[in-house]
Amino acid sequence: MKNSEQKKLTGKMITLIASGAFILVLLVYYSIMSALAPSRKVAEIEAMYGQQPTSGNIKDERILTDSAYNSLLKEKSFLQARISMAETDSVYMVLNIPDSTASLAISGVEVHSAKISEMKISRILRSGNDYLVSSMFASPMNIVTDFATIRKEPLMIKMAPKDTSEFKPDIIPDTSDYEPVNYIMEMDNGVRIFIYQESDTITKDKHELFYFDLKDRMKNTWRSIKSSASFRVPEYHPFIKIRLPKADAKILYRAVPRKGQVAVYM
Amino acid sequence: MEEDKTKNSDIQPEDIQRQEKDLNPHSENITRRIKSLYFKTRENKKLYKTLQISSVTLLSVLSLLFVFSFMLYIVPGVQELTSGGKTKFTADPELKKNPDYKKLTNLLAKDIQRLAKKYTSYTPGQSYIIINTTDNRFYLYRNKKLIREGFCSSGSYTMLKTEGEKKWIFRTPKGKYWIQGKITSPVWRRPDWAFVEEGLPIPSKDDPSRWEYGVLGDYALSIGEGYLIHGTLYKRFLGMPVTHGCVRLNDEDLEAIYNTLIIGSKVYIF
Repeated sequence: MKNSEQKKLTGKMITLIASGAFILVLLVYYSIMSALAPSRKVAEIEAMYGQQPTSGNIKDERILTDSAYNSLLKEKSFLQARISMAETDSVYMVLNIPDSTASLAISGVEVHSAKISEMKISRILRSGNDYLVSSMFASPMNIVTDFATIRKEPLMIKMAPKDTSEFKPDIIPDTSDYEPVNYIMEMDNGVRIFIYQESDTITKDKHELFYFDLKDRMKNTWRSIKSSASFRVPEYHPFIKIRLPKADAKILYRAVPRKGQVAVYM
Repeated sequence: MEEDKTKNSDIQPEDIQRQEKDLNPHSENITRRIKSLYFKTRENKKLYKTLQISSVTLLSVLSLLFVFSFMLYIVPGVQELTSGGKTKFTADPELKKNPDYKKLTNLLAKDIQRLAKKYTSYTPGQSYIIINTTDNRFYLYRNKKLIREGFCSSGSYTMLKTEGEKKWIFRTPKGKYWIQGKITSPVWRRPDWAFVEEGLPIPSKDDPSRWEYGVLGDYALSIGEGYLIHGTLYKRFLGMPVTHGCVRLNDEDLEAIYNTLIIGSKVYIF
C-alpha cells in the first residue's frame, strides 16, 4: 500500500519535473529567438538604407564615422523629411529629440509645439549606426496603425427628432478631461512611437497606463510566440517613448490623421 | 598540530547538539512544535489534502506569473541589451584636411542651406490664422508674428441620424485652407440638417424659411466646402466644440480677423 503510494508520488514528481524542464526549454528557445530579432532588424535596415548613398563617392571610410559629417547628414535628412510632408495639405507630426519637442505642422507652418519631459529610445536608434538611422529618417514615416486610450474622433450619435415636440435644444457639452491619454503609433518602417501623458499622479491614470502597456506587451508577445512557433525570428520594433503634458498629447493625437506622417530628428 | 586534530575528531555529534541546545534552548522547542503540527496535519487527511492542493495551486500560479513576466518584461529588456553596437564617432583633425571630406561637407552644408530656405518659405509672409479644434482656440499671425489669440468654437463631432438612411457629421475639417470670400452682414441659408435637427419638415431649396438674419454676426469668411468663420449669438459656448463644422468667434475677434485676413490668406486647422 505504502509502496504504491510512493510510486504514485514519484510518478507525479517526474511529470512535474519533466513539464518544468519542457517549459524551461521553451523559454530558453523563445529568449534566443527574441534576442536574435534586433540583429535581424539591423540587417533589414542595412539592406534597405545602407547602400544607397554617396558611399561610392566616399573614398575614405573614416568620413562615415565623423561626427561633424554625421550631424550634417542628420540635419539634411530632417529637412528632406519635413519638406516632403510640407508638400501635402494635411497635419503632420515632427519629433525633435535633441530639442525635446514634439510639434504639429501643416504645409511647413508649425501650428503647435509641446515640450517632451521624458524619453526613452531604442538602442538601435540611439546608438546604432548613425548613418543608417539618418537614412531611415530621411523620408517621413507613415502611420500604419495606432492603439490608444482615447478616441481619435469623439463622435456622438444623435437621432433626429420625429417632430418639433421631440426636439430638445443642445445642452452644454461635457468637456471635463477625465480620460487618460496614452497611445502608440506603428510606422511603416517598423518603428513604434509611444506617447504617454505626463501627469500620471492620479492613481487611476497610473493603473490605466499599466493596463494599456500590459495589453500592448501581450499583443506583441503573442505575435513573437507565433513567429517562434513557426521557427521564424520574431519581428523587432525599434521604439521612441515620450511623455508629454496631457493636453498636448491629446492635441497631437486628435490632429494627426489616422494614416498621417511623422518626421523624427535624432 | 597533531593534538589539535585528535581533539577535533573527539567531538561527537551529540556534543554539538547539546552545545546548540545550550546556546538556544528555544530552537528545540520550536522544532518539536513544528514536527507535532506536521504530524497532526498529516493525521487529518482532509486538511492535509486541502493544504497539498492549495500549495500546488499557489506554486502553479507563481510559476505562471513568472513565465508571463519573463516573456512580457524580461525578454524585451534583454532584446534592448543585445540590440546594436555603439557607433564610434571620430573627430580626426587629419580627416578635416582631406579634400574629399571638405568637398563632401561643403556639399552637404550647401544642401542644408538650400533646403532650410525652401522650408522657411512655406510659412506665409502675409497674415494667416491657426485654429486648434481640440482646445477651441485661434491664433492670428501677421508678418510671422502672433498678433491675437482667443477662444473659438468648432465642430461638435455629433452624428445626426434620421430614421431613414440620412446622416450628417458635424466636424470642422483639418488641414490647410484659404480665405475664399469675405462677407459683411452675412445671412445664413439654413441647410437641410438645420430643419432635420429641430424635427421640422425640409422645405424647398428657395423657401423663405431657409434664410435667417443676424445669427452669423457682422462678418463671415468662407474657407470653402460650405465652411465659414463667423460670429455667434451663443458666446457662452466659445471655447467648446458645439458647432456644425463652422468656426465661431466673438464679435471683437471676428472683426480683427476680418480686417487682418485677405482673400487668399491661409487658414491652418488642426
